[in-house]
Amino acid sequence: MGALLAIDTSAGTSVALFRDGKLVAEKNITDNMKHAESIGSAIAAVLAEAKVTGQQVIEVVVGRGPAPFTGLRVGLAAATMFAEGTGAQLSGVVSLDAIALTALKTLKASPAKPLLVTTDARRSEVYWALYSGLTANGSPMRVEGPEVLKPAVLAEMLEARMLEPLTTDVQITGAAVGELAEALRADNLLERDVTAMYLRAPDAVEPKANGQFGKKVSS
Amino acid sequence: MTANWAIRIADENDLDQIMRIENECFASDAWSIENMHDELVGAERFYVVAYSTIAEDPDQLIGYAGLAKSPLVAQGDVQTIAVTPSSRGIGLGRALMNALLAEAKRAKLKDVFLEVRADNPTAQNLYLALGFEQIDVRKRYYQPDDVDAIVMRLTMAGDAKHEPLVLGIESSCDETGIGIVRGNTLLANVISSSMEMHARFGGVVPEVAARAHLEALGPTLHEALATAKVSLEEIDAIAVTNGPGLAGALMVGVGAAKALAVSLGKPIYAVNHLVGHVGVDILERGELETPTVALLVSGGHTSLLLVRDLLNDVELLGETIDDAAGEAFDKVARVLGLRYPGGPEIDRAAEGGDPKAIRFPRGLTLPKDMDKHRYDFSFSGLKTAVARHVEIAQAKAAAGEAAEMNIADVAASFREAVADVLVTKAVNACLDHNVPRLLLGGGVIANRRLRELAKERCDANGIELRIPALSLCTDNGAMIAAIGSQLIMAGYEPSGLDFGADSTLPVTTVQTI
Repeated sequence: MGALLAIDTSAGTSVALFRDGKLVAEKNITDNMKHAESIGSAIAAVLAEAKVTGQQVIEVVVGRGPAPFTGLRVGLAAATMFAEGTGAQLSGVVSLDAIALTALKTLKASPAKPLLVTTDARRSEVYWALYSGLTANGSPMRVEGPEVLKPAVLAEMLEARMLEPLTTDVQITGAAVGELAEALRADNLLERDVTAMYLRAPDAVEPKANGQFGKKVSS
Repeated sequence: MTANWAIRIADENDLDQIMRIENECFASDAWSIENMHDELVGAERFYVVAYSTIAEDPDQLIGYAGLAKSPLVAQGDVQTIAVTPSSRGIGLGRALMNALLAEAKRAKLKDVFLEVRADNPTAQNLYLALGFEQIDVRKRYYQPDDVDAIVMRLTMAGDAKHEPLVLGIESSCDETGIGIVRGNTLLANVISSSMEMHARFGGVVPEVAARAHLEALGPTLHEALATAKVSLEEIDAIAVTNGPGLAGALMVGVGAAKALAVSLGKPIYAVNHLVGHVGVDILERGELETPTVALLVSGGHTSLLLVRDLLNDVELLGETIDDAAGEAFDKVARVLGLRYPGGPEIDRAAEGGDPKAIRFPRGLTLPKDMDKHRYDFSFSGLKTAVARHVEIAQAKAAAGEAAEMNIADVAASFREAVADVLVTKAVNACLDHNVPRLLLGGGVIANRRLRELAKERCDANGIELRIPALSLCTDNGAMIAAIGSQLIMAGYEPSGLDFGADSTLPVTTVQTI
């Protein structure tokens, strides 16, 4: 039977393996500075635990963020190349949606009382999105976002709209990403797009004219 | 522990003793003495016997083994192997096998086959340990015992050296490179550069480079496979740059390479970027002559290496203590109102200029600096000197005190200062270490004056100069694949899966385990 490999590096390194829509192995490494180190052995570990070879994976799904850039790209690069190596079909999901899916299993959101999902965007900002609930197949219904804002600005905006959303401290997992893909597929919403969601332009300063040396800032 | 036995080639006179052991070991299915005789004297047969070196009777045999060779098909078969029960468990079986395998290697056999009883796990484990793999089972082969035979094969590394097919991934700066080599042969070298995207910033922006790598991976891989006319399933190993370079950019390549290796179930080799620049010579000449001094000059590096052995003895003699030479070109180009990248622009602007018009400083060449920084470089002072010169010349021209600044003279003089200091220090390194070879690498090697001057000074000093093709001088994946291939052919173990990107990886670490 074919297997599905789920990868997300929007926070730590999260990898999961599904067979016939069921989770069979999962590896979540919370260290958010070790994506390049962790990704290879995490994938190898779930394959080994599920007793599946790479060539038996027929589907790869990857979290597109939004997330601070450097780590996010490791998962996207890995998913892209794993799909190249196996001929598996590659799909992308919004990482915040996976958090919403997990949170909405226990929270009841509605258009009037939506769920607010936020993650750390660094530089005193957060990525955020609002969800009104789950579809019958379990796909989170995102009504706004994802976008990036300072928390105070986000709070002001919600207040101005007289919204007091539900919140969650759920962390993303590989399992949630795989589950999200299954739900989206059932709703015919699973997309092939795997471009990174940066939501911010590269931080670079164009040099001034003649004689000035421009600054380069990395993120 | 020294062995108390020795092995020699068998002859006809050993027949009786061999038969004694044969009947002792193979009670139910021993060969006849006629068969054994034919084996011992037969063409393309190789039989050895073992004797004890401590027994009272030195002629007493304690084991034997035989190999049948089929040179036409480069195959061999282990005909028999036996050790007297009283001499087992002391490594004699392994020694006899090794004697046969040494002969197989000498005869340039590619595959050696054998059959072993399914009910003899001790023998099977020995053959597995020697590198044999099970390829077949012959049901009820041993009669009258009714026991299956397990057929095993050893593929000899041998003299007909296996040339591994290696795919190399490079993403340390602004070039996404994927190269494919077989042994020492270049099959594909595809480079996708994000240089244009950095132009408006006047230098490589790490985040822009890393974003571009992610998008370029797939298309670059496809083109490399198409050029090499190979499929991913044929690839024997993946090699990847894990440093030095821009951390965020390196991480894209490392993540990609690991996932590709795991998906294919193939080993991965984490390779030093700078050593890759040196190893590229192998792809053009089939080998790297050592020792050699290597001068690597790019937008990110200015390094002088002494390479005694490509895979395990690379020494950093010196490097830039501030800007890389390529950066100096970019910054001075901006001062002169020229475009990015600065190297080719300054080459063009210098056309017809007088390289001696302005004596710009040569960094770290004063006697006081030469003690501590004999092989180090500094371009920051040079860049500032050019900026000052331009400022003053423009002010004077504006005030009507002097004619308009001659850009060609400034460009030619700056270029001369860079080339002079690079070549002087590289040639010094060759002379000081008595190394008659200099290899150039890195994108700045495209600079015409640098190549000219290097040729001139190397010729004058009897130093052989190697300048690889430009497509192999700039950052590329083929050079990484080449190092991977060298590591494999030299028998190095692959890297694990836990290595990270190391932006300051020292040049002494050729492979990260």
